[in-house]
Amino acid sequence: MNPLNVYVFTSAALIVIGLYGIAVKRNMIKTVISIEIITAGVNLNFLALTVGTSFFTLAQYFVIVSIALGAAVASIALSMVIQAYRHYGSIDLRKLSRLRW
Amino acid sequence: MVDMETQAILNPLFILLAGAIIVVIVEQVGRRLKLPKLTDATAVVFFALTLISLYQLYLISKGQTPPVLTYSLKGLGGPFGVSFVVDGLSLFMAFLFAGLGLLVSIYSIRYMEKDLNLDRYYSLLMTLVAGMIGVVFAGDLFNLFVFWETMSISSYSLVAFRKYRWEPIEASFKYLTMSTVGSLMVLYAISFLYGLTGTLNIYELARILGASPIRSQLLAAYFLVACVVAGFGVTGAMVPFHFWLPDAHPAAPSGISAMLSGVVIKAGVYGIARVLFTVFNPNSFDFGTVLMVFGVITLTVANLAALLQRDIKRLLAYSSIVNIGYILSGLGIGAYVITHYQPPLSLSVAGLAVMGALFHIFNHAIGKGLLFLCAGCFIHEAKTRDISMLEGIGKHMAITGASFSIGLLGLAGVPPLSGFWSKLFIILAGYSITWDPFMIVVTTLIVLNSIFAATYYVWLMQRIMFRESKVKAKEAPASMILPIVILALLCVVVGLMPGWIIEAAGKAGLSLISYVGG
Repeated sequence: MNPLNVYVFTSAALIVIGLYGIAVKRNMIKTVISIEIITAGVNLNFLALTVGTSFFTLAQYFVIVSIALGAAVASIALSMVIQAYRHYGSIDLRKLSRLRW
Repeated sequence: MVDMETQAILNPLFILLAGAIIVVIVEQVGRRLKLPKLTDATAVVFFALTLISLYQLYLISKGQTPPVLTYSLKGLGGPFGVSFVVDGLSLFMAFLFAGLGLLVSIYSIRYMEKDLNLDRYYSLLMTLVAGMIGVVFAGDLFNLFVFWETMSISSYSLVAFRKYRWEPIEASFKYLTMSTVGSLMVLYAISFLYGLTGTLNIYELARILGASPIRSQLLAAYFLVACVVAGFGVTGAMVPFHFWLPDAHPAAPSGISAMLSGVVIKAGVYGIARVLFTVFNPNSFDFGTVLMVFGVITLTVANLAALLQRDIKRLLAYSSIVNIGYILSGLGIGAYVITHYQPPLSLSVAGLAVMGALFHIFNHAIGKGLLFLCAGCFIHEAKTRDISMLEGIGKHMAITGASFSIGLLGLAGVPPLSGFWSKLFIILAGYSITWDPFMIVVTTLIVLNSIFAATYYVWLMQRIMFRESKVKAKEAPASMILPIVILALLCVVVGLMPGWIIEAAGKAGLSLISYVGG
């Protein structure tokens, strides 16, 4: 199998795992972890598609910026988890379902 | 010198980002000097400076033919690196963002006076506007993504600003989860585009993809279109992805609701329009049908849901989703005719439809900004968001009530007001090709929906203005009235003299479809 395909399929698998986690898991921290898994998958895809080409250098810059942005999002999400814990004494998303459509 | 002129592109961004830092220092100074309003005044000044620098940029770009400015960062320049491109559409959207930002910062002086940490509030408001201006100025997709995340992170924090209550936290976490997944889907599509072509410059991508219509990889290309539409559609509140919006808008402070509803969701629509129209040429990709179908579904679902609401801000939030439906349908009609018909006819119809959609972006930004600010005044006085408790409050607050009615009638599309024109253009464009049953059906659904929406706008106006009043209230303070009156006057003036804004929206629309060519 072409090594490129291995990385592309791995990143697709990571994205699917992350989406599954967001859809199924009821723990807020697990939701944040799932978002991070999707970020990792997308970043891997960015590198996998460009490795060995002349534009690989720039892709590395992009991925580093993207990792920094992912960290910013994760820190905001985790601060919300702390606030939610102060309100509810729990980080179970089922307890956070007072808002419906 | 050309370099100095193009450097002006960075001015609005620099001013806002510098302001975001300076406001924090000013807060400390103000606390020492016992001048509590110093922070607010600084924020207002920085937004005014941003508007001035945008106006200078407009003057510079008017002197160029074509009126497009480009700026590339040194070292990473050329067709490969980070670049900014300013054309008619970018300036049109940027003026809207900065203008509403200025009005919201004036409004917040009194509305937010009971809240703590106002330096953080204004700082986040400035990074929010800076992010949006960066999104519309970005000339390459990665730059667009970085500013997109700046905007998103600021808006998550602003929704959760009153973090001592449970509602904002819950709404903001929901918003964060959905919106982050959306932006990651966009980044996924961007990574494929980079892998395929080796560049992220929007115009370079358009050239490469246009030169070799990737017929063999059509399925892959449609997958990318789907990622882009779904990703930007989350922030744009397209219907299957709209669940965050009716929670986030009521939970945020009213000024922020006006920003979110007036302009942040428009940034999502801008993302869809810019990436799809420019990168994926509608001549070879039939995304117009998808946008029309999603637009009409958005309209219908949100209209039905809006009827069930008892919370005034929630009702207005659903009405925002309805208006996103009009804008998406307008863009969809434009792309559909370019795909299915030949140039002289298709370009004129598409020009009309896209112009109508952009004009509606303007109308909805001022109209819904106005409505949320008015609702903020009502809530500020009556301390409740329940419509049945707010009945008749317009009798006590004459100016706010009258402006609220103007906003409602304007969005309902009553003739002399602004909302009428943009809906008229979208519907005219939809009916202009009479032998296409799909377009006729979609346009008829738009017409039926807009009549349906008008009924509940008028019903809401009747409840707020003409029922027996249940609450005691007095008119809001002058600095809260001022932005409301400005927006209400804009609704009337644009309705009576739509010429100048039609011209601006037309130019903005042309910069979208001129890349499509003949």
